Amino acid sequence: MADIFDSSLNLEETHFKEGYDEGYKDGLITGKDESKQVGLKVGFEVGEELGFYRGCVNVWSSALHVDPNCFSSRVKISIKQMDELIEKYPVLDPENLQVQEIMDSLRLKFKMVCSSLHVKIDYDGYPKSSSDAKDIEF
Amino acid sequence: MENFNEGCELKEFQTLEGHSDRVWSLAWNPATGHSGIPYVFASCSGDKTVRIWEQNLSTGLWGCKAVLDETHTRTVRSCAWSPSGKLLATASFDATTAIWENVGGDFECVSTLEGHENEVKSVSWNASGSLLATCGRDKSVWIWEVQPGNEFECVSVLQGHTQDVKMVQWHPTMDILFSCSYDNSIKVWADEGDSDDWQCIQTLGESNNGHTSTVWALSFNTSGDKMFTCSDDLTLKLWETDSRRMQSGNEFAPWRHLCTLTGYHDRTIFSVHWSREGIIASGAADDCIRLFVENNESLVDGGPLYKLLLKKEKAHNMDINSVQWSPGEKRLLASASDDGTIKVWELLSL
Repeated sequence: MADIFDSSLNLEETHFKEGYDEGYKDGLITGKDESKQVGLKVGFEVGEELGFYRGCVNVWSSALHVDPNCFSSRVKISIKQMDELIEKYPVLDPENLQVQEIMDSLRLKFKMVCSSLHVKIDYDGYPKSSSDAKDIEF
Repeated sequence: MENFNEGCELKEFQTLEGHSDRVWSLAWNPATGHSGIPYVFASCSGDKTVRIWEQNLSTGLWGCKAVLDETHTRTVRSCAWSPSGKLLATASFDATTAIWENVGGDFECVSTLEGHENEVKSVSWNASGSLLATCGRDKSVWIWEVQPGNEFECVSVLQGHTQDVKMVQWHPTMDILFSCSYDNSIKVWADEGDSDDWQCIQTLGESNNGHTSTVWALSFNTSGDKMFTCSDDLTLKLWETDSRRMQSGNEFAPWRHLCTLTGYHDRTIFSVHWSREGIIASGAADDCIRLFVENNESLVDGGPLYKLLLKKEKAHNMDINSVQWSPGEKRLLASASDDGTIKVWELLSL
Protein backbone atom coordinates (compact mmCIF):
# COMPACT_ATOMS: atom_id res chain seq x y z
CA MET A 1 0.00 0.00 0.00
CA ALA A 2 1.36 3.38 -0.97
CA ASP A 3 2.16 5.91 1.68
CA ILE A 4 -0.31 8.75 1.46
CA PHE A 5 2.46 11.19 2.33
CA ASP A 6 4.70 9.94 -0.46
CA SER A 7 3.89 12.67 -2.95
CA SER A 8 4.32 15.46 -0.43
CA LEU A 9 7.62 13.99 0.80
CA ASN A 10 8.97 14.04 -2.71
CA LEU A 11 7.63 17.50 -3.32
CA GLU A 12 10.96 19.24 -2.88
CA GLU A 13 12.79 16.79 -5.10
CA THR A 14 10.19 16.99 -7.82
CA HIS A 15 10.25 20.73 -7.87
CA PHE A 16 14.01 20.76 -7.93
CA LYS A 17 14.02 18.45 -10.93
CA GLU A 18 11.42 20.51 -12.74
CA GLY A 19 13.33 23.70 -12.10
CA TYR A 20 16.56 22.12 -13.21
CA ASP A 21 15.10 20.88 -16.48
CA GLU A 22 13.57 24.23 -17.19
CA GLY A 23 16.80 26.08 -16.38
CA TYR A 24 18.84 23.68 -18.47
CA LYS A 25 16.60 24.19 -21.45
CA ASP A 26 16.67 27.96 -21.08
CA GLY A 27 20.42 27.97 -20.56
CA LEU A 28 20.92 25.98 -23.70
CA ILE A 29 18.91 28.45 -25.74
CA THR A 30 20.41 31.67 -24.30
CA GLY A 31 23.91 30.11 -24.29
CA LYS A 32 23.65 29.32 -27.96
CA ASP A 33 22.29 32.76 -28.61
CA GLU A 34 25.07 34.47 -26.69
CA SER A 35 27.85 32.46 -28.26
CA LYS A 36 26.39 33.31 -31.61
CA GLN A 37 26.66 36.99 -30.69
CA VAL A 38 30.23 36.59 -29.39
CA GLY A 39 31.23 34.59 -32.44
CA LEU A 40 29.74 37.22 -34.69
CA LYS A 41 31.56 39.98 -32.83
CA VAL A 42 34.95 38.24 -32.69
CA GLY A 43 34.60 37.05 -36.26
CA PHE A 44 33.85 40.56 -37.37
CA GLU A 45 36.82 41.96 -35.43
CA VAL A 46 39.25 39.43 -36.82
CA GLY A 47 37.93 39.87 -40.31
CA GLU A 48 38.14 43.62 -40.04
CA GLU A 49 41.71 43.54 -38.80
CA LEU A 50 42.80 41.07 -41.46
CA GLY A 51 41.08 43.17 -44.08
CA PHE A 52 42.86 46.25 -42.81
CA TYR A 53 46.26 44.59 -43.21
CA ARG A 54 45.22 43.20 -46.60
CA GLY A 55 44.43 46.72 -47.73
CA CYS A 56 47.76 48.08 -46.52
CA VAL A 57 49.70 45.26 -48.14
CA ASN A 58 47.85 45.78 -51.43
CA VAL A 59 48.63 49.49 -51.47
CA TRP A 60 52.30 48.90 -50.66
CA SER A 61 52.51 46.12 -53.24
CA SER A 62 51.00 48.41 -55.88
CA ALA A 63 53.56 51.07 -55.03
CA LEU A 64 56.30 48.47 -55.46
CA HIS A 65 54.78 47.47 -58.77
CA VAL A 66 55.18 51.04 -60.02
CA ASP A 67 58.65 51.50 -58.54
CA PRO A 68 60.31 48.28 -57.36
CA ASN A 69 62.90 50.28 -55.46
CA CYS A 70 60.62 52.59 -53.55
CA PHE A 71 61.15 50.58 -50.35
CA SER A 72 64.27 49.02 -48.86
CA SER A 73 64.83 45.29 -49.31
CA ARG A 74 64.08 44.78 -45.62
CA VAL A 75 60.69 46.48 -45.95
CA LYS A 76 59.95 44.50 -49.12
CA ILE A 77 60.59 41.26 -47.25
CA SER A 78 58.32 42.34 -44.39
CA ILE A 79 55.50 43.24 -46.80
CA LYS A 80 55.86 39.87 -48.49
CA GLN A 81 55.79 38.12 -45.14
CA MET A 82 52.64 40.01 -44.18
CA ASP A 83 51.06 38.92 -47.43
CA GLU A 84 51.90 35.29 -46.68
CA LEU A 85 50.61 35.52 -43.14
CA ILE A 86 47.25 36.92 -44.26
CA GLU A 87 46.91 34.13 -46.83
CA LYS A 88 47.83 31.57 -44.20
CA TYR A 89 45.33 32.80 -41.61
CA PRO A 90 42.71 30.04 -41.12
CA VAL A 91 39.63 32.25 -41.38
CA LEU A 92 37.22 29.31 -41.51
CA ASP A 93 38.91 27.35 -38.76
CA PRO A 94 38.67 29.46 -35.59
CA GLU A 95 39.72 26.60 -33.35
CA ASN A 96 43.05 26.31 -35.14
CA LEU A 97 45.73 26.99 -32.52
CA GLN A 98 47.79 28.99 -34.99
CA VAL A 99 45.38 31.93 -35.18
CA GLN A 100 46.83 33.89 -32.27
CA GLU A 101 50.39 33.29 -33.39
CA ILE A 102 49.69 34.45 -36.93
CA MET A 103 47.83 37.54 -35.75
CA ASP A 104 50.69 38.45 -33.37
CA SER A 105 53.25 38.10 -36.17
CA LEU A 106 51.08 40.19 -38.46
CA ARG A 107 50.78 42.99 -35.92
CA LEU A 108 54.53 42.92 -35.37
CA LYS A 109 55.38 43.06 -39.07
CA PHE A 110 52.89 45.85 -39.54
CA LYS A 111 54.56 47.87 -36.79
CA MET A 112 57.97 47.28 -38.36
CA VAL A 113 56.87 48.36 -41.83
CA CYS A 114 55.15 51.48 -40.49
CA SER A 115 58.22 52.40 -38.46
CA SER A 116 60.53 51.92 -41.44
CA LEU A 117 58.27 53.90 -43.78
CA HIS A 118 57.88 56.66 -41.18
CA VAL A 119 54.12 56.46 -41.46
CA LYS A 120 51.70 56.59 -38.62
CA ILE A 121 48.84 54.28 -39.37
CA ASP A 122 46.95 53.03 -36.38
CA TYR A 123 44.55 50.20 -36.57
CA ASP A 124 41.92 51.30 -34.07
CA GLY A 125 39.74 48.25 -34.28
CA TYR A 126 41.31 46.28 -31.49
CA PRO A 127 41.90 47.70 -28.03
CA LYS A 128 45.50 48.71 -27.40
CA SER A 129 47.34 47.17 -24.49
CA SER A 130 48.50 50.63 -23.51
CA SER A 131 45.02 51.71 -22.46
CA ASP A 132 45.40 50.07 -19.06
CA ALA A 133 47.38 51.64 -16.24
CA LYS A 134 48.32 54.64 -18.29
CA ASP A 135 49.65 56.75 -15.45
CA ILE A 136 52.17 54.40 -13.98
CA GLU A 137 55.69 55.62 -14.57
CA PHE A 138 58.82 54.13 -13.14
CA MET B 1 94.18 46.08 -7.77
CA GLU B 2 96.51 45.47 -4.81
CA ASN B 3 96.35 49.05 -3.59
CA PHE B 4 92.58 48.86 -3.16
CA ASN B 5 92.86 46.29 -0.46
CA GLU B 6 94.64 48.78 1.74
CA GLY B 7 91.83 51.31 1.76
CA CYS B 8 90.61 54.06 -0.43
CA GLU B 9 88.26 56.96 -0.53
CA LEU B 10 85.52 58.07 -2.88
CA LYS B 11 85.99 61.81 -2.87
CA GLU B 12 83.27 64.13 -4.10
CA PHE B 13 84.72 66.19 -6.90
CA GLN B 14 81.76 68.27 -7.95
CA THR B 15 77.99 68.50 -7.69
CA LEU B 16 76.25 69.51 -10.90
CA GLU B 17 72.93 71.29 -10.70
CA GLY B 18 70.74 72.30 -13.59
CA HIS B 19 68.06 69.68 -14.11
CA SER B 20 64.76 70.73 -12.60
CA ASP B 21 63.55 67.17 -12.01
CA ARG B 22 65.02 63.78 -11.15
CA VAL B 23 68.06 62.72 -13.17
CA TRP B 24 67.47 59.27 -14.60
CA SER B 25 70.63 58.36 -16.36
CA LEU B 26 73.98 59.58 -17.61
CA ALA B 27 76.56 58.50 -20.15
CA TRP B 28 80.24 59.42 -20.56
CA ASN B 29 81.33 60.19 -24.09
CA PRO B 30 83.79 57.35 -24.84
CA ALA B 31 85.86 59.54 -27.15
CA THR B 32 86.74 62.01 -24.41
CA GLY B 33 89.02 62.08 -21.38
CA HIS B 34 92.25 61.23 -23.16
CA SER B 35 94.76 62.85 -25.55
CA GLY B 36 93.91 66.23 -24.11
CA ILE B 37 90.21 66.01 -25.02
CA PRO B 38 88.17 67.27 -22.06
CA TYR B 39 85.79 64.84 -20.39
CA VAL B 40 82.21 65.07 -21.65
CA PHE B 41 79.09 63.30 -20.46
CA ALA B 42 75.36 63.57 -21.08
CA SER B 43 72.58 63.37 -18.51
CA CYS B 44 68.84 63.00 -18.98
CA SER B 45 65.97 63.86 -16.73
CA GLY B 46 62.31 63.96 -15.84
CA ASP B 47 62.46 67.63 -16.89
CA LYS B 48 62.34 66.35 -20.54
CA THR B 49 65.82 67.64 -21.33
CA VAL B 50 69.24 66.22 -21.94
CA ARG B 51 72.26 68.15 -20.71
CA ILE B 52 75.79 67.93 -22.04
CA TRP B 53 78.50 68.56 -19.45
CA GLU B 54 82.10 69.33 -20.37
CA GLN B 55 85.14 69.59 -18.16
CA ASN B 56 87.06 72.85 -18.27
CA LEU B 57 90.69 71.85 -18.72
CA SER B 58 92.05 74.78 -16.74
CA THR B 59 89.75 74.64 -13.70
CA GLY B 60 89.02 70.92 -13.86
CA LEU B 61 85.36 71.63 -13.21
CA TRP B 62 82.42 70.56 -15.33
CA GLY B 63 80.02 73.04 -16.81
CA CYS B 64 76.79 72.63 -18.73
CA LYS B 65 77.68 73.03 -22.37
CA ALA B 66 74.34 72.39 -23.99
CA VAL B 67 70.72 71.73 -23.09
CA LEU B 68 68.89 69.54 -25.59
CA ASP B 69 65.25 70.42 -25.24
CA GLU B 70 62.11 70.93 -27.28
CA THR B 71 62.40 67.50 -28.87
CA HIS B 72 61.19 65.08 -26.26
CA THR B 73 57.77 65.85 -24.85
CA ARG B 74 58.09 63.65 -21.78
CA THR B 75 60.75 62.26 -19.40
CA VAL B 76 64.04 61.31 -21.04
CA ARG B 77 64.83 58.00 -19.40
CA SER B 78 68.11 56.91 -20.94
CA CYS B 79 70.97 58.14 -23.12
CA ALA B 80 73.90 56.49 -24.90
CA TRP B 81 76.83 57.70 -27.02
CA SER B 82 77.83 55.86 -30.16
CA PRO B 83 81.29 54.25 -29.85
CA SER B 84 82.82 57.08 -31.90
CA GLY B 85 81.26 59.64 -29.57
CA LYS B 86 79.73 61.49 -32.52
CA LEU B 87 76.11 60.51 -32.00
CA LEU B 88 73.98 60.55 -28.87
CA ALA B 89 70.82 58.48 -28.64
CA THR B 90 68.13 59.44 -26.11
CA ALA B 91 65.13 57.30 -25.14
CA SER B 92 62.01 58.97 -23.86
CA PHE B 93 58.65 58.22 -22.30
CA ASP B 94 57.17 60.02 -25.32
CA ALA B 95 57.62 56.69 -27.18
CA THR B 96 60.46 57.98 -29.35
CA THR B 97 64.21 57.66 -29.45
CA ALA B 98 66.09 60.70 -30.73
CA ILE B 99 69.50 60.70 -32.38
CA TRP B 100 71.64 63.80 -31.88
CA GLU B 101 74.73 64.71 -33.82
CA ASN B 102 77.48 66.96 -32.54
CA VAL B 103 77.95 69.54 -35.28
CA GLY B 104 80.75 71.86 -34.27
CA GLY B 105 79.71 71.91 -30.64
CA ASP B 106 76.00 72.24 -31.36
CA PHE B 107 73.75 69.25 -30.98
CA GLU B 108 71.22 68.69 -33.72
CA CYS B 109 68.44 66.13 -33.65
CA VAL B 110 69.13 64.25 -36.88
CA SER B 111 66.69 61.40 -36.56
CA THR B 112 63.72 60.22 -34.51
CA LEU B 113 62.99 56.53 -34.16
CA GLU B 114 59.33 55.72 -33.78
CA GLY B 115 57.87 52.31 -33.27
CA HIS B 116 57.41 51.61 -29.59
CA GLU B 117 53.80 51.78 -28.46
CA ASN B 118 54.63 53.77 -25.34
CA GLU B 119 57.49 54.63 -22.94
CA VAL B 120 60.98 53.81 -24.22
CA LYS B 121 63.12 52.89 -21.24
CA SER B 122 66.62 52.23 -22.50
CA VAL B 123 68.89 52.54 -25.52
CA SER B 124 72.23 50.93 -26.36
CA TRP B 125 74.74 50.92 -29.27
CA ASN B 126 76.61 47.80 -30.29
CA ALA B 127 80.43 47.74 -30.26
CA SER B 128 80.83 48.82 -33.88
CA GLY B 129 78.11 51.46 -33.76
CA SER B 130 76.18 49.84 -36.61
CA LEU B 131 73.21 48.68 -34.53
CA LEU B 132 71.05 50.31 -31.92
CA ALA B 133 68.71 48.59 -29.49
CA THR B 134 65.76 50.08 -27.61
CA CYS B 135 63.28 48.62 -25.16
CA GLY B 136 60.27 49.77 -23.22
CA ARG B 137 57.00 49.36 -21.45
CA ASP B 138 55.40 47.61 -24.42
CA LYS B 139 57.52 44.55 -23.42
CA SER B 140 59.35 44.61 -26.72
CA VAL B 141 62.96 45.11 -27.73
CA TRP B 142 63.69 46.77 -31.08
CA ILE B 143 66.89 46.49 -33.08
CA TRP B 144 67.71 49.27 -35.55
CA GLU B 145 70.42 49.40 -38.18
CA VAL B 146 72.28 52.61 -38.88
CA GLN B 147 72.00 53.52 -42.56
CA PRO B 148 73.85 56.15 -44.55
CA GLY B 149 72.61 59.69 -43.96
CA ASN B 150 71.59 59.18 -40.33
CA GLU B 151 68.72 56.93 -41.33
CA PHE B 152 67.74 54.11 -39.00
CA GLU B 153 65.89 51.05 -40.18
CA CYS B 154 64.13 48.57 -37.95
CA VAL B 155 65.82 45.19 -38.25
CA SER B 156 63.73 43.23 -35.82
CA VAL B 157 61.19 43.50 -33.02
CA LEU B 158 61.85 41.01 -30.25
CA GLN B 159 59.05 39.78 -28.08
CA GLY B 160 59.63 37.44 -25.21
CA HIS B 161 59.57 39.41 -22.03
CA THR B 162 56.23 39.25 -20.26
CA GLN B 163 56.61 42.66 -18.61
CA ASP B 164 58.18 46.10 -18.98
CA VAL B 165 61.77 45.81 -20.27
CA LYS B 166 64.00 48.00 -18.10
CA MET B 167 67.32 47.96 -19.91
CA VAL B 168 69.04 46.78 -23.08
CA GLN B 169 72.79 46.39 -23.31
CA TRP B 170 74.96 45.05 -26.13
CA HIS B 171 77.85 42.75 -25.36
CA PRO B 172 81.14 44.78 -25.37
CA THR B 173 82.70 42.87 -28.26
CA MET B 174 80.05 40.73 -29.97
CA ASP B 175 76.69 41.39 -31.58
CA ILE B 176 74.75 39.73 -28.80
CA LEU B 177 72.05 41.72 -27.03
CA PHE B 178 71.03 41.47 -23.37
CA SER B 179 67.78 42.74 -21.90
CA CYS B 180 66.46 42.76 -18.35
CA SER B 181 62.90 43.19 -17.21
CA TYR B 182 60.19 43.68 -14.63
CA ASP B 183 59.46 39.99 -15.31
CA ASN B 184 62.59 39.24 -13.19
CA SER B 185 64.51 37.73 -16.10
CA ILE B 186 67.48 38.56 -18.29
CA LYS B 187 67.24 37.53 -21.93
CA VAL B 188 70.05 36.98 -24.40
CA TRP B 189 69.34 37.66 -28.09
CA ALA B 190 71.39 36.83 -31.16
CA ASP B 191 71.06 36.78 -34.94
CA GLU B 192 70.70 33.10 -35.65
CA GLY B 193 70.91 33.17 -39.41
CA ASP B 194 71.95 35.80 -41.89
CA SER B 195 68.56 37.31 -42.58
CA ASP B 196 67.61 39.39 -39.56
CA ASP B 197 66.63 36.27 -37.69
CA TRP B 198 67.03 37.54 -34.13
CA GLN B 199 66.00 35.05 -31.50
CA CYS B 200 66.12 34.69 -27.75
CA ILE B 201 68.91 32.18 -27.18
CA GLN B 202 68.92 32.14 -23.40
CA THR B 203 66.73 33.27 -20.52
CA LEU B 204 68.33 33.75 -17.12
CA GLY B 205 65.46 33.48 -14.69
CA GLU B 206 64.70 32.25 -11.24
CA SER B 207 65.23 28.64 -12.28
CA ASN B 208 68.85 29.47 -13.20
CA ASN B 209 69.58 31.01 -9.78
CA GLY B 210 68.37 34.30 -11.20
CA HIS B 211 66.70 37.27 -9.60
CA THR B 212 63.41 37.05 -7.73
CA SER B 213 62.30 40.60 -8.54
CA THR B 214 62.73 43.31 -11.20
CA VAL B 215 66.16 43.30 -12.85
CA TRP B 216 67.11 46.95 -13.28
CA ALA B 217 70.51 46.95 -14.92
CA LEU B 218 73.45 44.91 -16.11
CA SER B 219 77.10 45.58 -16.83
CA PHE B 220 79.97 43.64 -18.40
CA ASN B 221 83.63 43.41 -17.56
CA THR B 222 86.04 44.61 -20.28
CA SER B 223 86.63 41.21 -21.84
CA GLY B 224 82.91 40.44 -21.86
CA ASP B 225 83.01 37.01 -20.21
CA LYS B 226 81.42 38.19 -16.96
CA MET B 227 78.31 40.22 -16.26
CA PHE B 228 76.83 41.73 -13.13
CA THR B 229 73.07 42.28 -12.81
CA CYS B 230 71.28 44.24 -10.10
CA SER B 231 67.75 43.92 -8.87
CA ASP B 232 64.86 44.94 -6.72
CA ASP B 233 65.53 41.70 -4.80
CA LEU B 234 68.43 43.56 -3.09
CA THR B 235 71.15 41.43 -4.67
CA LEU B 236 73.84 41.75 -7.29
CA LYS B 237 74.40 38.63 -9.33
CA LEU B 238 77.49 37.63 -11.24
CA TRP B 239 77.18 35.57 -14.42
CA GLU B 240 79.91 33.97 -16.46
CA THR B 241 80.37 32.47 -19.89
CA ASP B 242 83.10 30.41 -21.50
CA SER B 243 85.21 33.11 -23.16
CA ARG B 244 87.06 30.75 -25.49
CA ARG B 245 83.88 29.18 -26.78
CA MET B 246 82.35 32.63 -27.08
CA GLN B 247 85.23 34.02 -29.12
CA SER B 248 85.37 31.04 -31.45
CA GLY B 249 81.97 32.29 -32.60
CA ASN B 250 80.87 28.90 -33.87
CA GLU B 251 78.36 28.25 -31.18
CA PHE B 252 76.68 30.16 -28.42
CA ALA B 253 78.41 29.90 -25.08
CA PRO B 254 75.64 29.93 -22.48
CA TRP B 255 75.82 32.08 -19.38
CA ARG B 256 75.69 30.62 -15.92
CA HIS B 257 75.27 32.00 -12.44
CA LEU B 258 78.55 32.34 -10.58
CA CYS B 259 77.71 34.10 -7.32
CA THR B 260 75.22 36.41 -5.59
CA LEU B 261 76.22 39.42 -3.52
CA THR B 262 73.58 39.50 -0.85
CA GLY B 263 73.28 41.29 2.50
CA TYR B 264 74.96 44.48 1.31
CA HIS B 265 71.89 46.38 0.15
CA ASP B 266 68.60 46.93 1.95
CA ARG B 267 66.82 48.89 -0.78
CA THR B 268 66.39 48.41 -4.54
CA ILE B 269 69.64 48.47 -6.54
CA PHE B 270 68.98 50.55 -9.67
CA SER B 271 72.39 50.65 -11.27
CA VAL B 272 75.55 48.63 -11.55
CA HIS B 273 78.67 49.49 -13.52
CA TRP B 274 81.95 47.66 -13.97
CA SER B 275 85.12 49.77 -14.34
CA ARG B 276 87.96 48.88 -16.69
CA GLU B 277 90.02 47.96 -13.66
CA GLY B 278 87.39 45.62 -12.29
CA ILE B 279 85.77 47.78 -9.64
CA ILE B 280 82.01 47.32 -9.53
CA ALA B 281 79.93 50.32 -8.49
CA SER B 282 76.30 50.09 -7.42
CA GLY B 283 73.73 52.84 -6.98
CA ALA B 284 70.65 52.17 -4.90
CA ALA B 285 67.45 53.55 -3.42
CA ASP B 286 69.19 53.92 -0.04
CA ASP B 287 71.11 56.93 -1.45
CA CYS B 288 74.43 55.06 -1.09
CA ILE B 289 77.15 54.18 -3.56
CA ARG B 290 78.97 50.92 -2.95
CA LEU B 291 82.12 49.64 -4.59
CA PHE B 292 83.02 45.96 -4.84
CA VAL B 293 86.25 44.24 -5.91
CA GLU B 294 87.30 40.68 -6.51
CA ASN B 295 88.35 38.96 -3.31
CA ASN B 296 91.89 37.73 -3.90
CA GLU B 297 91.76 35.54 -0.82
CA SER B 298 88.77 33.59 -2.07
CA LEU B 299 90.98 31.24 -4.06
CA VAL B 300 92.90 30.33 -0.93
CA ASP B 301 90.20 30.00 1.68
CA GLY B 302 87.16 29.58 -0.50
CA GLY B 303 85.56 32.78 0.75
CA PRO B 304 83.24 35.04 -1.25
CA LEU B 305 84.37 35.86 -4.78
CA TYR B 306 83.73 39.58 -4.35
CA LYS B 307 84.00 41.85 -1.35
CA LEU B 308 82.81 45.32 -0.44
CA LEU B 309 85.54 47.87 -1.01
CA LEU B 310 83.68 50.84 0.38
CA LYS B 311 80.23 52.22 1.04
CA LYS B 312 79.57 55.91 0.53
CA GLU B 313 76.69 56.83 2.82
CA LYS B 314 74.40 59.70 1.81
CA ALA B 315 76.08 60.04 -1.55
CA HIS B 316 72.87 61.80 -2.62
CA ASN B 317 69.81 63.07 -0.81
CA MET B 318 67.53 60.71 -2.69
CA ASP B 319 67.54 57.49 -4.77
CA ILE B 320 70.57 56.97 -7.00
CA ASN B 321 69.38 56.00 -10.46
CA SER B 322 72.65 55.60 -12.29
CA VAL B 323 76.36 55.19 -11.59
CA GLN B 324 78.87 55.30 -14.45
CA TRP B 325 82.67 55.05 -14.49
CA SER B 326 84.47 57.42 -16.81
CA PRO B 327 86.61 56.41 -19.76
CA GLY B 328 90.22 57.59 -19.87
CA GLU B 329 92.92 57.24 -17.25
CA LYS B 330 91.27 58.75 -14.22
CA ARG B 331 89.11 56.82 -11.77
CA LEU B 332 86.08 59.06 -12.05
CA LEU B 333 82.58 57.96 -11.21
CA ALA B 334 79.46 59.98 -11.98
CA SER B 335 76.14 59.40 -10.23
CA ALA B 336 72.64 60.63 -11.09
CA SER B 337 69.88 60.96 -8.55
CA ASP B 338 66.23 61.69 -7.87
CA ASP B 339 67.49 64.75 -5.99
CA GLY B 340 68.05 66.39 -9.40
CA THR B 341 71.83 66.50 -9.17
CA ILE B 342 74.72 64.70 -10.75
CA LYS B 343 77.87 64.16 -8.74
CA VAL B 344 81.34 63.45 -10.03
CA TRP B 345 83.53 61.39 -7.68
CA GLU B 346 87.17 60.45 -7.76
CA LEU B 347 88.40 57.19 -6.32
CA LEU B 348 91.63 57.83 -4.41
CA SER B 349 93.85 55.25 -2.77
CA LEU B 350 94.95 56.21 0.69
